[in-house]
Amino acid sequence: MLKIENIEKSFGQLKAVNGVSLEIEKDDIFGLIGPNGSGKSTLFNIISGFYRKDKGEIYFDGERIDDLLPNQIVERGLCRTFQVSRAPERMTVLENMLLAAKNQVGENPLNALLKRPMVERSRKKNLKKAKELLSELDLFHLKDEYSGNLSGGQKKLLALGRIFMLEPKMVLLDEPTAGVNPTLTNNILKGMQNLREKTENSFFIVEHDMGVISDVCRKVFVLNSGEILAEGSPEEIQQNDKVLDAYLGRN
Amino acid sequence: MPIANFTIYLFTMFGIYALFAMSLNLQVGYAGLVNFGQVAFFALGAYTSALLVVKAGLPIAVGIIAGMLASGFFGCLLAWPTKSLKSDYWAITTLAAGEVIRLFALNEKWLTEGPFGVMNIPQPLEGLIDKYYNIFYFIFVLIVVAVVYMLLSMLTDSPFGRNLKAIRDAEDLSKSLGKNTQKIKVQVMAIGGLVAGLAGAIFAHYMVYISPENFRPLETFLIWGMIIVGGRANNRGAILGAVVIQTFYVSTRFVGNYVPIGSDLMSAARMIVIGLLMVSFLIFRPEGLLRERKKTYPDEV
Repeated sequence: MLKIENIEKSFGQLKAVNGVSLEIEKDDIFGLIGPNGSGKSTLFNIISGFYRKDKGEIYFDGERIDDLLPNQIVERGLCRTFQVSRAPERMTVLENMLLAAKNQVGENPLNALLKRPMVERSRKKNLKKAKELLSELDLFHLKDEYSGNLSGGQKKLLALGRIFMLEPKMVLLDEPTAGVNPTLTNNILKGMQNLREKTENSFFIVEHDMGVISDVCRKVFVLNSGEILAEGSPEEIQQNDKVLDAYLGRN
Repeated sequence: MPIANFTIYLFTMFGIYALFAMSLNLQVGYAGLVNFGQVAFFALGAYTSALLVVKAGLPIAVGIIAGMLASGFFGCLLAWPTKSLKSDYWAITTLAAGEVIRLFALNEKWLTEGPFGVMNIPQPLEGLIDKYYNIFYFIFVLIVVAVVYMLLSMLTDSPFGRNLKAIRDAEDLSKSLGKNTQKIKVQVMAIGGLVAGLAGAIFAHYMVYISPENFRPLETFLIWGMIIVGGRANNRGAILGAVVIQTFYVSTRFVGNYVPIGSDLMSAARMIVIGLLMVSFLIFRPEGLLRERKKTYPDEV
């Protein structure tokens, strides 16, 4: 479903991603781990169109996407979250959810003025869905709070909620549980699994927490110094000597 | 009678500047685009309408609409190549664009009469209404302000308005949710241009005479003062700010008659006071007199 071939990206002299190739199949959860600075976030930024690659090709659903803009990639059903959650300072949690809804009639300024009944209908539909999702994620009581005022963990949960509204085919999650307390981590993981069961989409997760990765992922890729060091099931990865050296610093 | 006339003049100016301030508020308050050249759109609207009516003999309504379209088009033109710039570079570009329009009006004498300005600009229905013309024009401006306020409220309340706020607060996030942020920026510059052009055209037909002197960068800073004092991302705030700043700006002209300081010093002093007012608001009440309203949705479902 997502196929990455020989991606390279340098920042000045630093080769952040050095010839990475990997493939993600449909309807499953995949993990990407690696030490700090191994190129995980850079790779995510390239896949989602936020950075331009230097070399290589990326295909999604058979279509080449490495020269598309971020919004065009989202339109094709591939979306992402951020390591540091973005939360608009002066937009409420509910507005955040509504923001994420796809193809709203009133996003076109002329429609917003002239096609009021259609705008109203689509608003009602999205509002209903947004409120249901907020209840499921246990964020409903915060619906009128500014998203800028949420805690780090709540922002991550909200990021997941926006993804639910967007209904993508594949999601890149950049450290969905980093810095989040265990209860919220559980909520986030539960939400993620619920979403997958409902929509049959795939996840590609960057994580530091080996526990999280082993719990949810079927297959894990290990990135080190911009190169794929190993790939396999979580158990295989945990027993791989090269991985233990790179990741745990064992000599 | 002079006082009554002056009051009507003042209220008409409230209306014209309210339109002008609302146009900036859409860009700065809602979309977070730091625009330091808004006076260019005002000038384009004023000159386009005035020249089409005076020199080409077109009806005033056509002039006003053409003025709006010219400004809206200039908004697209300015936003297209600059849409990916970060805010400080964007600000410099808009500041320069504002000066380019003024210098064009100052130097292209064959078209604009240069520093002499455009004179004898016709006024709508001027032969028909004689005695109470100023009141008529004030009511005309009032209706335009009401209509523009209503349309802008519909826009800012819509998903389009929500996208603007998202670009202002978290542009990366908007992109990651599939929003074409660059297209939205072009749209918002065009809409802001339309409204500022309308304000400029109405200004030209009210003043009957315009020259490049009317469109100095100072004008942009006055409307910035209006939205800082009145409140950003709040159209009522923009209107209130226009009333407060305009009242102060116009009325202090007469203080010179009573206070023994020269008129040069006086005009500099009132800019200092407006500057101080802006800075104090930014420090002590950064949200302005009327804060941005939180958008809530009643429990309908």
